[in-house]
Amino acid sequence: MTSETGAPTVQICANCGGGAPLDVHFCPQCTKILSLGRHGDYFAFLGIPRKLNLDGSELERKFRTLSRQFHPDYFYNRTPPERRASLERSSYLNDAYRTLKQPTARIEYLLEIECASGRASGGASSQVPPSLLEEVFALNEELDTVREMREEGVPLHEWRSRLDRARGPIEAKRAKHERDLEALSAEWDALVDQETNADDRMRVLNLLRERMLERNYIQNLLAGIERELTE
Amino acid sequence: MYSNKVIDHYENPRNVGSLPKDDPHVGTGLVGAPECGDVMKLQVKVNPQTGIIDDAKFKTFGCGSAIASSSLATEWLKGKTVDQALAIKNTDIVNELSLPPVKIHCSVLAEDAIKAAISDYRKKQHGSVTVEEATAQPNA
Repeated sequence: MTSETGAPTVQICANCGGGAPLDVHFCPQCTKILSLGRHGDYFAFLGIPRKLNLDGSELERKFRTLSRQFHPDYFYNRTPPERRASLERSSYLNDAYRTLKQPTARIEYLLEIECASGRASGGASSQVPPSLLEEVFALNEELDTVREMREEGVPLHEWRSRLDRARGPIEAKRAKHERDLEALSAEWDALVDQETNADDRMRVLNLLRERMLERNYIQNLLAGIERELTE
Repeated sequence: MYSNKVIDHYENPRNVGSLPKDDPHVGTGLVGAPECGDVMKLQVKVNPQTGIIDDAKFKTFGCGSAIASSSLATEWLKGKTVDQALAIKNTDIVNELSLPPVKIHCSVLAEDAIKAAISDYRKKQHGSVTVEEATAQPNA
């Protein structure tokens, strides 16, 4: 059995040789822990839908349940393959939880796995719009001016007020960025529920990718402000 | 992790500043690297008589390697024709500055900036020709 992308959708139990779905952790036939060969993505591994607005308490509950099931302490007197499987599954579970509990890491991960399945936009949007670059450049120059003022010994209240004025538009950008990500995340989740066509999904994923490209520019600007304030 | 040449360009950047953006003989390239949030502006001024780049300026907000790459690029651009400028490859910058693999994208950014600046200059030249033709018509 294969998915639409041609990837295998079963894993084989090393103990009894039986087949098992990718998203189970213990062999349905012999009940032994499965070694981490073919496995699902982080969402499938944790048994949660591939959505961006996750219920944090549900995520944590799933994590804790699986943690207990895989914990190497429970496998210390088992066979070496089972002990190894318990370590592999515990380690993968930790990676999955760490990634999915953080909202932006979750978006980046979703983009990664959705694009890996062969429906990437072909890198067409690896650049942000020129207008954003111009804006970011101008704001950086403004921060440079404030830095020079400070270094030239301009009184504190003068450069501070200029820095505060520069901060306004940057904070506004960040706030808009966060709102855009939230709206797109909600849109994505609705598409997951509707099981809609690939074009709609791709459109939302591309918009998400574009928004994510802005992130480092905004964060660098905010870091620049913080630097001025703490130095 | 930085080579002496990178440190030299970082501490004494060449050709920092800007050229008049609206000058028909000035081409401006503004590029960014989303993975690190660096922004780089690079400008060339082409002598209309000789077709040679007389002057080049840059301003980069980013890491030392990005600053050094764009500083070096402006040094190399001066005295070159537009076509020669387009032949500058990011690997030339990597070799000159001994950039480590994690900083190769800085040299790519500099190459992109050169291409963007030249393309802006050419667009202006192309545009100004048609403007001249259009304004020349009534006199003819």
